[in-house]
Amino acid sequence: MRPRKPGIGHTLSSTSQRSYWLGRYLERAESTARLIIVNANLLLDLPVRLPLGWRPLVHITGSEPEFDKVFKRSNERNVVRFLISDLRNPASLFSSLNLARENARTLRGRMPRAAFEYVNELVLYSRQSLSEPLSRTRRVAGLSRVMQMIQQIDGFLSGNMLHDALWGFLRIGNFIERADMLSRIVDLHSTDILGGNRPDPASFQDVQWRSVLESLSALQSYNATRQGPIDEVAVLNFLFKSPSLPRSYLRCLNQIRYNLRSLPRNERPLQAVNRLRREIEAVGSEAFAGDRLHGFVDDRQQDLAELHNTINRTYFDFKPRLPRA
Amino acid sequence: MAIDWDRYDSGLAWDELIAPGGKPRPGGGGLCRTLGRLSDAELAERKAAAELAIRAMGITFAVYARGKGGSIDREWPFDIVPRLIRKREWDAVTAGLKQRTTALNRFIDDVYHEQRSLADGVLPRELVEQSREFRPECVGVDPPHGVWSHVCGTDLVRDADGRFHVLEDNLRVPSGVSYMLENRHVMKRVFPELFENLAIHPVDDYPDRLAECLRSLSPREVEAPQIVVLTPGIYNSAYFEHAYLANAMAAELVEGSDLAVGPDDVVYMRTVNGLVRVDIVYRRIDDLFLDPLAFNPDSALGVPGLMRAWRAGKVALANSPGCGVADDKVIYTYVPELIRYFLGEEPLLPNVPSYRCVIKDERDEVLDNLDKMVVKPANESGGYGMMIGPQASRKEREAFARRIRAKPRNYMAQPMVTLSTAPTLIGADAEPRHLDLRPFILSGADTYVTMGGLTRVAMRRGSTVVNSSQGGGSKDTWVVGN
Repeated sequence: MRPRKPGIGHTLSSTSQRSYWLGRYLERAESTARLIIVNANLLLDLPVRLPLGWRPLVHITGSEPEFDKVFKRSNERNVVRFLISDLRNPASLFSSLNLARENARTLRGRMPRAAFEYVNELVLYSRQSLSEPLSRTRRVAGLSRVMQMIQQIDGFLSGNMLHDALWGFLRIGNFIERADMLSRIVDLHSTDILGGNRPDPASFQDVQWRSVLESLSALQSYNATRQGPIDEVAVLNFLFKSPSLPRSYLRCLNQIRYNLRSLPRNERPLQAVNRLRREIEAVGSEAFAGDRLHGFVDDRQQDLAELHNTINRTYFDFKPRLPRA
Repeated sequence: MAIDWDRYDSGLAWDELIAPGGKPRPGGGGLCRTLGRLSDAELAERKAAAELAIRAMGITFAVYARGKGGSIDREWPFDIVPRLIRKREWDAVTAGLKQRTTALNRFIDDVYHEQRSLADGVLPRELVEQSREFRPECVGVDPPHGVWSHVCGTDLVRDADGRFHVLEDNLRVPSGVSYMLENRHVMKRVFPELFENLAIHPVDDYPDRLAECLRSLSPREVEAPQIVVLTPGIYNSAYFEHAYLANAMAAELVEGSDLAVGPDDVVYMRTVNGLVRVDIVYRRIDDLFLDPLAFNPDSALGVPGLMRAWRAGKVALANSPGCGVADDKVIYTYVPELIRYFLGEEPLLPNVPSYRCVIKDERDEVLDNLDKMVVKPANESGGYGMMIGPQASRKEREAFARRIRAKPRNYMAQPMVTLSTAPTLIGADAEPRHLDLRPFILSGADTYVTMGGLTRVAMRRGSTVVNSSQGGGSKDTWVVGN
């Protein structure tokens, strides 16, 4: 075989965009699976049977209008089906996985060959094991396996994919989605989902924030870092400002910054992410307190949307200036 | 039970592996023995291993169901019994293919320049002028090395006497080479022991040869000219191949929207670094979709201004637009004359005997014998729009007779060729199935022919339709020996 001449590797805007969305969809699928598992556990811990126990998940995933078009009742069966297998829900687990696969398919040439095979297997597995309504135990087993498979893909890519610009975009997609999901989960708990029904406010708050930590895989870390007893302000401080918790808001921003640094033309996106970092570092506990929490979370979501727009404008959807003759 | 070669009988057809009487042809003994030693269970195991490999490797020729929130991948039917060709025989075929492709390229260049061959009456002028594939936009353009069709896929068949004939030349955007490469990967997984014992010539240098060929077309003298593979996108049936080749050549896989042509007539691609100049576009979309400014204005697949850039010599297009003018089944019938005219040589590879409906005597011959003929339209590919006389109803034959009389230029006819067969695993036994062969010829500064090619098999008993779109499958093709 003849020696190959060296070439310069380029990263197309369109390819980068697909990598970014692959990162987002995989992360979204994992979060969705985790949310459903955690919510089922939360309901078991609650002192009363709540009529609206599953509705909040529809809210978190931002798909209430789609849900109400299809279903009348927000019971477990409907919500779970809507969140897992319903392709009419653009944010369902299956929709996210399908979109992840379509993006992975077009990236096949730029990722290790096995990556697409794994994503493909993930889609096939989830269809096979989660299409029908299931008992809670079997559903949890299926969803746990899905989460595990996604984590394996993450790990596989990290260990085998070229850590180039495409990898950078994949990670940025991961972390923007992760930060976004964190804010959605917290937002859900910023409103009083129990209304006046709580028999013992203090102990219930405990349960609620414990479940938030769990849904972010952060309970063990919370205890390990000796944050003290579980209370709202301590949990929120941990979730938004911990530099070491893998799913904290600050850590997501730090990861986005880290990945942006090795990308070309990164001035504006770096400015944007640094601004968000400064803002969160300056925030004091009073910003989380009581009524302010919802507004605080809202601001974070808007910030993330703007960061997304900046990245989109810089790399994916820019108008090229073509040289004159 | 295992494969019993004594019972194997290919009838009138020439068989690629087994000679009349049940003995393997020269070079085929090792393969026959190895296969014959496998039990039914072992055969089934190997077959399953191949299917698993194909699935895992994601080798599909994709049929996408749109609007259902998903897509269907269809796996390429694959037979694990390889088709053998002896090296000495292949060398002769290679020489014939190079000769033919060279003559065809000289002809295309002539068509878009002086048209000497038409003036000298080698073939009737109106054949070219009425061709749907003749592009006035290409007149006077000088592609590098005078080569227009850089990647050509020529379909070969063997007749009952075992002689190779050219069935058709695919000069526009032939596909299938990635299956040739992937079939070899699959076979290495399935029959590693055969690769140790037989001298099988490798095929996997193709992507490097293709890249080398494309680089030889670069308009700029730079160390590493930028190559892109232009695909219609993920829903195209050959998308798998486009991605495969781009990856193997370390080229960029692009869609029309990734490219832009500047007022300086230079082609650029949009990257995260900004605009990057493109030197060579290996385009896998048809002429008419290349550039909405020059051809189909509704095409969303192409790049506005691409033809302008090509005509200005700022970018190379492979294959060149307009090369389909020689990829016409009526012009095909004149290729032997073209070889004599342009090269002063006798053709090394014969055509399948053909009748030209434009010539009255030959047309009458066709019309009198429609039940024995295969009638082909001039400008279709993939086996569409043709009539297989012996299998057609009387009504169909009459309809074709009317069409031929109305537009003789649009048709040619060939007597039925008994395509050769090769043993194909059906259940737990080997049965003869008809096949053809598509080698790929690269023409740039040099000419290169693949070692073997893509063997396509008609999986149904007795069928001679090998097209993937119509239920054909494939086999690995082994050129063996010295």
